[in-house]
Formats: sequence, structure tokens, C-alpha cells
Amino acid sequence: MTEMWVNMGPQHPMTHGLWNLRVRIEGEIIKDVEPEMGYLHRGIEKISEDRHYNEIITLMDRTCYVAGLSWEHLFIVAAEQALHVTPPERAEYIRVMSAELQRIASHLMWYSAFVQDLGLMTPFLYGMRDRDLILDLFQSYTGGRLTYEYMRVGGVRSDLPLGFTQRCRQVVDWLMDRFVEYDQLCLSSTIFHERCDGLGVLLEPEAVAYGVTGPMLRSAGSRRDLRKDRPYSVYDQVQFDVATATTADVTGRYLVRMEEMRQSVRIVRQCLDWLDDHPGPVMADHLPRWLGAPYAPMGNESYLLKRNYPTGVGLSMIEEPHGEAGAYVVNDGGEHPYRVKFRSPVLINIWAAKRYLPGYRVADIPPIMGSVDVCVGECDR
Amino acid sequence: MDQEQLSAGLSARFPGKILGVDTFPGTNGRVRFDATVASDLFRSLRDDFHFTHLTMVGATDWIDHREVFYVLWSDADRRYLILSTDLPAESPVIASAVPIWPSANAHEREAWDLVGVKFEGHPDLRRIFMPEGYAYHPLLRSFKIHEPEDLEVKVRSD
Repeated sequence: MTEMWVNMGPQHPMTHGLWNLRVRIEGEIIKDVEPEMGYLHRGIEKISEDRHYNEIITLMDRTCYVAGLSWEHLFIVAAEQALHVTPPERAEYIRVMSAELQRIASHLMWYSAFVQDLGLMTPFLYGMRDRDLILDLFQSYTGGRLTYEYMRVGGVRSDLPLGFTQRCRQVVDWLMDRFVEYDQLCLSSTIFHERCDGLGVLLEPEAVAYGVTGPMLRSAGSRRDLRKDRPYSVYDQVQFDVATATTADVTGRYLVRMEEMRQSVRIVRQCLDWLDDHPGPVMADHLPRWLGAPYAPMGNESYLLKRNYPTGVGLSMIEEPHGEAGAYVVNDGGEHPYRVKFRSPVLINIWAAKRYLPGYRVADIPPIMGSVDVCVGECDR
Repeated sequence: MDQEQLSAGLSARFPGKILGVDTFPGTNGRVRFDATVASDLFRSLRDDFHFTHLTMVGATDWIDHREVFYVLWSDADRRYLILSTDLPAESPVIASAVPIWPSANAHEREAWDLVGVKFEGHPDLRRIFMPEGYAYHPLLRSFKIHEPEDLEVKVRSD
């Protein structure tokens, strides 16, 4: 039978974003794939060279539009290393709580899109409904539902509003009950298992060689999670388990993400308990004015100037909902970073499609690529 | 393995080619090396020092030279290591890491596309974000985003 190349994308229901998967097929069997990226390239690394550190936070929300707070967290950790700034502990707890709520919201978005790819419409509506509850929480303390601009070099913009911890506990309690329903809707469905079991298998040694990270790697039995392996912020202060599966297929990735949401709720509850007991400042008080501090110490005017500010470099790697994201920031003493480089987990996870797609059929592509959790915004940057 | 052991082990294997080891927050340090031993150094780091993961490859334009940096992860140490090397600005060429870590593929294409660093031995060194034939490497400092005449898209005819 003759072989041919088929374009799946840039406009295709499978892609969830603007990218192109070129597939070489022989009959129904996939022989080779070639991902083509770049349709959503906005030059965020280039624009960052021309912005103040706190202005880049606005770009971070646009980098990944379903996990804005996670990407703000990523950049802030690297920028604080490069600028020699230490945030107060309360700000770190608020950041971790925000990042975990964002992880739940991002996984719910993935769940909704993924089950719709399988033809299950009802879970889509439930997933989007429950994601909105988390967006309501974000709106109550950041003012935004999708792009937050909340974190700052040296802390966070504002403290949590009155009664927030109470509302947040109600929402996560509600979500824990809904997670049971999600599993009932999917795991008890024959259609789900027919379309997911044994597809897109990527075993651990290959996943490591190809740089695959996040839930895709953990579904192959690996226990690699940067929150445990190299704790940043206050992840060494909270208890949680690393979610893993052993099947390394689409069902395994589903199970890992579902368990991760439950573990995220555990972390959020511990953060809320801590935040209730420890009021305090949420912004470092020794920031120079040019870094966006609300005030400068009286009688210390040279503090306001950026002249002779020490240079530095920063590297942060965090466990983002899609995998391991990285930021590399070079501070050459100026008011803008000299170079900012981001590692996108999705770009590398898509790249490994050369390993986990060939051999399956064309109709298997939507569930397999759906289980990767593609966010083209962070992939193309 | 701490920074001194790593530094001593690497210096013994590559005498004169390890230009320095300095501290880098949150990592095992930053190793500056001579680009001529890139392939052997990568292989040695993977096989002898257990840096099984290549996390990130990037490049910086320092105008008079270009710096290429690699971020490696070791499961045994649970620490990162940064490799850094300087290439001349007029011919930034270095051996590709794809034969040692296949995950370098997309990273190196990105560094070629945006900063114009050539990776010798890369199986498929094409542009990744910009269109094929685009005349610029946008992350070079000479590419100014505030000068509109420079924003005109110039595409070579070949």
C-alpha cells in the first residue's frame, strides 16, 4: 500500500491550539510523525529583554493561558535569585497555594478537552463548571480570571481578602466529591477503556532519553517530581505524595492527573491552615524602588537608584501542570534582564511523539495527543 | 557528588579544557569548558557522572561572543549542573548533543533559530519557530524590536 503524508493542523479538532502534526501513514497505520510548531510564536523571550522585571509577569500570564500563576511563579523564582531578593514566608505560602489551585484548574481544563476528544460530552460540562469555581477564587484575590499579574519580585501584590480561606476550603471540599464523579463517568465507561487502554505507550528509559517530564513520565512508573526532588518555595514544608501509574499509556496519564488533583487539594488545605495562623507582610521591605517596591526607606535616597546594583544569574525549574518548566535569567545590572530563556515542557513532550505515535492507527491520534495536554502558548512562546 | 569532586574529576579527564567551575544558586555549579571537547565531555558526564537528563539548551548573545549553556540533571545527586562555553561571534559552531541526549533535538533547533548557533552533527537543523528562509536570528542583540524598518520581514529567495 502506498504511503502518504497527512497534515493534522494547524486547524484541526485534535490539536487544541495552533500547531501542525504531519503524519506519514500507510493505510491506517502511522509510520512517522513530524510536529511543526511556531504558529503562535510571539517572541516573549525577545520582548522580555526590553521590559522591567515586574512587567515580564504580564507576559508570563500570556505564555501559558491555562496556567498563568504557575508561569508567574516560575519566572519570579528565577528573577529573585538573579536580583538577590528574598520574599517573606507568607508570600511563599500564597504562591504555593496559588500554584496548586492553578494545577487543579489546568488539569480540569485538560480533563474537559480530553474526554471531549473521546466523544464524552457530559464530563466536559462538569469539568468546565468546576474550573469556574477556582477562577472565582482567583478573581477574589487577584482581580483576574485568566491573566492575573499577581506575583511580584519580592512577594505578591496584595494579601488575601477577608474570608478567603473559608471560601477556598468550601471549594476544595466540593471538588474532592466531584473527583469521585469524574472517575465514575470515565473509568466505568467501556468507551473510555476501548479508546485509551494500551495506547501511546512510552516506557521510562525512552521517556528520560527524550526529555519527557510531568504526568507523562510519572505514568511510566517514575517518581520524578521536582516538588519532592528539589523543593522550591515552601514545598519542603507540606506533605503530599507523588502520583504515579505503571501502564505508561493514555489511561495511566489520566490516573496520574486525577491523583495529582487530589494531592493538590491536600497541599492547598495545609497552606490555608498555615495562612490562617501566620498573618504578616506579603512583600519584602528592602526592595529598591526600581523593582516596584511601594516605598523606599526614608533618608536613604541612593536606595532608589539602580546604579551599581549587583549582577547575578538565576535558574528555576518548577513542576508546572504540564511538566517541568524552567527559566534562566541573566541580570547584568541593568533595569531589564539581559537574557531570559524558558524551557517549555510541552514542546519536548510533543517532540517525543516520534517515539510514542508510530505503530498506532490514525483514529488513535486524538486520545494520545489529548493525553499529552498540549498548551501551544507555552510551547511557541 | 559535591562541586569539588566534580571539578576534580572533570579536570583529570579533560586537562586544560575545563576553564573553571563556579557556584550557581540551586545547582551543583557551573562548569565552563572548551568547546573543542564538547562531545567527549557530554559522553563522560552521562556515563561517568550519571547526568542522565538534559533539561535545557540555550544560547546568549554577548555581542563579542556567544555563550551556549546546557542544564543537566542527575537522578543520583538530585541536583542540576550547568555547562557553559563561549563561541566566537563570527562562527558559532559546536558539536551537537543529540547523539548523547536525544532530548537536545528541539532545544538545539530553537538555539539555531533564535540565536544562530550551529550544532554540528544535528540530524535535522532547521528553523523551529520562524519560517524557513527568514533572514534574521531574532534573539541577537543586533535585532532591534523598536526600529520599524528592521521589522520588515525579509525572506531570502533561495
